[in-house]
Amino acid sequence: MNDNPGLLLAALATSLLVAPLIFLLPERAWLARTTLNLGAALLKLGLVALMVAGVARGDSYALGFTVVEGVSFQLRADPLGIMFAGLSSLLWLFTTLYAIGYLEGSPNRKRFFGFFSLCVASTLGIALAGNLFTFLLFYELLTLSTYPLVVHRGTPKALAAGATYLRYTVSGGVLLLIAVVALHVLAGEVNFGQREVLAELGPEHHAWLIGIFVLLMLGLGVKAALVPLHGWLPQAMVAPAPVSALLHAVAVVKAGAFGIVRVVYDVYGIALSYELGLLAGLAIAASFTILYGSLRALAQVDIKRRLAFSTVSQVSYIMLGISLFGPMGTIAGLAHLLHQGLMKVTLFFCAGNYAEELGIHRIDELDGVGRRMPGTSLAFTLGALGMIGIPPLVGFLSKWYLGMGAIQAGMPWVIAVLVASSLLNAAYFLPILYRLWFKPGPLEGCGAWPEERRLGRLETSAWLLWPVLATAAFSLLAGVFAGLPFSPLSWASLIATQEYLP
Amino acid sequence: MSLAHTLLMTVAWPLAVAALVAGTLAWRHGRALVEQRSSGRYVVPPGVAGDWLSRWRVALWVSAPLPALAVALALPEASLTLDWWLLGGEWRLDGTRRALLGFTALLWALAGGYAHGYLGGKARRARHGDPDAERDLQAFVLLWPLTLAGNLMLILAEDIASFYTGFAIMTFAAYGLVVNAGSREAYRGGRAYLIMAILGEGMILAGLLWAAASAETLTLTGLREGLAVAPQANAMATLLWLGFGVKAGVIGLHVWLPLAHPVAPTPASAVLSGAMIKAGLLGWWQTLPLGLTALAGLGRVVMVAGLVAAFAAALYGVTQRHPKAVLAYSSVSQMGMMTTLVGLALLAPSLWPMLAPALVLFAVHHGLNKGALFLGVGITEHPPRLPGWLLWLLLALPALSLAGALASGLIAKWVLKAGLYDAGWSWLVTLLTWAALGTSLLMARTLWCQAHAWQEARRHGAAPAPLSMTLAWALCALLAAVPWWLTLPEASAGAVQATVLPPWGELPGLLWPVMLGAVVTAALVVACHLEPRLHARMSRAERLPPGDLWPLYVRLASSLSDPLRRGVARLSNAEETAQDLAAGCGRHAIAWLTALQRWEAWLRRWAVPLMVVLGGGLWLALMR
Repeated sequence: MNDNPGLLLAALATSLLVAPLIFLLPERAWLARTTLNLGAALLKLGLVALMVAGVARGDSYALGFTVVEGVSFQLRADPLGIMFAGLSSLLWLFTTLYAIGYLEGSPNRKRFFGFFSLCVASTLGIALAGNLFTFLLFYELLTLSTYPLVVHRGTPKALAAGATYLRYTVSGGVLLLIAVVALHVLAGEVNFGQREVLAELGPEHHAWLIGIFVLLMLGLGVKAALVPLHGWLPQAMVAPAPVSALLHAVAVVKAGAFGIVRVVYDVYGIALSYELGLLAGLAIAASFTILYGSLRALAQVDIKRRLAFSTVSQVSYIMLGISLFGPMGTIAGLAHLLHQGLMKVTLFFCAGNYAEELGIHRIDELDGVGRRMPGTSLAFTLGALGMIGIPPLVGFLSKWYLGMGAIQAGMPWVIAVLVASSLLNAAYFLPILYRLWFKPGPLEGCGAWPEERRLGRLETSAWLLWPVLATAAFSLLAGVFAGLPFSPLSWASLIATQEYLP
Repeated sequence: MSLAHTLLMTVAWPLAVAALVAGTLAWRHGRALVEQRSSGRYVVPPGVAGDWLSRWRVALWVSAPLPALAVALALPEASLTLDWWLLGGEWRLDGTRRALLGFTALLWALAGGYAHGYLGGKARRARHGDPDAERDLQAFVLLWPLTLAGNLMLILAEDIASFYTGFAIMTFAAYGLVVNAGSREAYRGGRAYLIMAILGEGMILAGLLWAAASAETLTLTGLREGLAVAPQANAMATLLWLGFGVKAGVIGLHVWLPLAHPVAPTPASAVLSGAMIKAGLLGWWQTLPLGLTALAGLGRVVMVAGLVAAFAAALYGVTQRHPKAVLAYSSVSQMGMMTTLVGLALLAPSLWPMLAPALVLFAVHHGLNKGALFLGVGITEHPPRLPGWLLWLLLALPALSLAGALASGLIAKWVLKAGLYDAGWSWLVTLLTWAALGTSLLMARTLWCQAHAWQEARRHGAAPAPLSMTLAWALCALLAAVPWWLTLPEASAGAVQATVLPPWGELPGLLWPVMLGAVVTAALVVACHLEPRLHARMSRAERLPPGDLWPLYVRLASSLSDPLRRGVARLSNAEETAQDLAAGCGRHAIAWLTALQRWEAWLRRWAVPLMVVLGGGLWLALMR
């Protein structure tokens, strides 16, 4: 079944092969490294765009070989995988641009960009994996390649955060490994999409299936930051801003969420998950996480910590959408996978800009920043309003479909969760916007910036400013033009139709 | 590009104006940054203040609502489908929407013209290097067209997503207008506005999601029809009623109005109280199953709430000292009357064909007159060089009209009264008439406060209002009094009898509340002059703060939020403890492993002796 493997391999190879090349380049070869990075990011984006067009036409891309008898390595581009791949390559480009500006003049850039490429390569692998074994390989690669990024600064705090990160993710990985092996023993090799394999197992296996599902959720839930497995995420925000952005928007957290999507839709199948009553459990866990994350975010004074708890809450929208049985819930979950990525990456970029340009880390230092850095603050405003769910930003679409899905699945209480979470989001984002735009700041003669640097000709360095504006524009345009083909919402609807009308 | 696409223009033009302002600001900001790079220290560049001199730039800015006005006046009934927009847009222009669009656009246009004069002083200060004035001006100029775009979009929207989008844009952008003055009171009013608005948005979102998903629809018509047959219609409709009720000033949810309206710049107060408050009414109109089914329980509650608002707000309002606060309470009272009619429609759907045109008439009449009254407040603070009789005639015109003594007010009242009498709701007519007495008193109080302000201004020699301000206000007062909107194309369809003036015989029945109000006022004024103790007692009543229930709500919220905050703190402590515990376990495990390693080293060192001993022991045991 080797059809069109070239494109698939090329896309994976662009970032996978760039990593050793970057390690080989000397530290001071800024131009070569930057060219290599950006070239690879652009090339990959182009390749993925080609595949998106191909998948929309109905072409298939697959590649596979047997590792040992009964276990095979499978890569495949289906609509779901290509959606995640598209998100990761798009945001990789912006994050690379941003990181180049962010790390200008700091040590160890070679190490950073090398592992950065490796991290993105594993994300792409996760997106394109065709079975649980392949998924697991890239999932663990992601765990390991992210660690050097988290501890990049090398401070004691960063090292502690890295240790916590490893403690959580490696334990999660072990659980996942056990679950995958158990599933293998029970049903043999299950490729993604072969939902009938588990569905045909008799009722005597159902207890096992439920047990394995719980184990899988525990393993994946660590990265997806389901409460109470979320402890590593707020600590990991000591990482440099581009890493946090990548961590929260595409790479680690999303890898967990994406894994849960894969397990529910392509391994168990939504029908079986529903029959076994697994969805209700997931819905409750997700709802709890949503409210818990929002409540915790309220009490944070550090910008990035507040954003981290907001991620805990927002990523669970994806799980909530998946757990609502019916196409609307599916659309909500999948669309939010993209929407949350766009909004969160914007917010973390902004937090990074404030820290870099003005030395601002705490929320109470943000007074009057809107007039000093209007572009960044506008982007932050768009991201925050989107998170609250104000139309026409993308967050509203997610909430709308979640609400529709909740009624379709016969769980109207989910609407109460949604509204409560929106109110809490407003309660922790609007005070920031108020400080940005309405409070007098150092420009009006109240106080001083903690540590002002003039990084560029404009409000900050162009490397930092343009990616922020671009991602903010994307999160606005993806909402306004949601009805056009290839918008996140349309693509999610396409997947949902395939899921429910086989 | 069909004719229907001009509907898109109505919203796109104000958005384009806002984008233009934002672009100009960004450009100047960027240029100033580049220029000031050498000097090291960054100062806010003079942004829009300079533009306030350029006629055509201001004309462009004021023109934002004009396409909407043109559409309302000239475009035939139209509908527009936008596939690319959000969840699929559907905009429509029909009879009700036309009337609302027309008056909204007109009020915004007049208030925009008024704003030009109103902000002239601020622009001058900004040009002389006052950064605060420059900041206020920038925010106002940018947010004004944005708020307008939201307001127009929600009127035209037929699909739920556009409607909610317009509503949200209007609500959030208007916050910047409310707090524009930048004073402590402004921020207090703004906070009340925003908190109530967000609670309202939450309830609206819940109601819309629930009802739309149950009916599986994307349009407002579908929503209404679905709600009419839904099993939990009462709960959904209650959510929607309360959610939109925040904007419409339902009693209990009205607290933001008297706090936010007095502090906002006067043109913004005019559109807040005239046009934006009607968004709440339109929300009810578009989402509640009015005329489709009876929701008796909710209908009764709505009616009672409306009547309570109509009377209580009038009683509380007359104690206020600030004319804008009096006018805000008058808005609560007037919206209470409209709420009563909505409740009646929920209770008796068969009355809706009669109530709907009356309600539109009432809304348009109130919107324009209230706008004119608010604009008048700024005029008395800066009296223009007009003869006194003309000034006071123009100030009294909308007041009399709102009290129901003149042109549009008289007609609105008559249509309503006649319809309700025919349907056998005479007790309601009586109550509403008594409420009109309250309106008369409020109007008298407003004029009284304005007279004070006028005297004060003349004593201190306040600068006369610029021409644009005076002109916009006079035009608004005149246009509000003349019920020109009855001649709009489809407005007449349901309101044929509306064009008929009330017969002479009915006039005393319609006019007595105004007369009585005038008499009571005159009597009070005379009595206060004659009896100083009465005056003192009245002055005590004047100390009642605007925003009546707000302090109570604040105390309630803080007593609720303290335990919540403690709970969250406990949660985070528990989380940290758990993490420490886990880390401790890890350390223990590592320590144990290290100990094992030491043990192994010991074992390695003593391996040979141990083997010998063990071997010897074994050998001995086997030999035995």
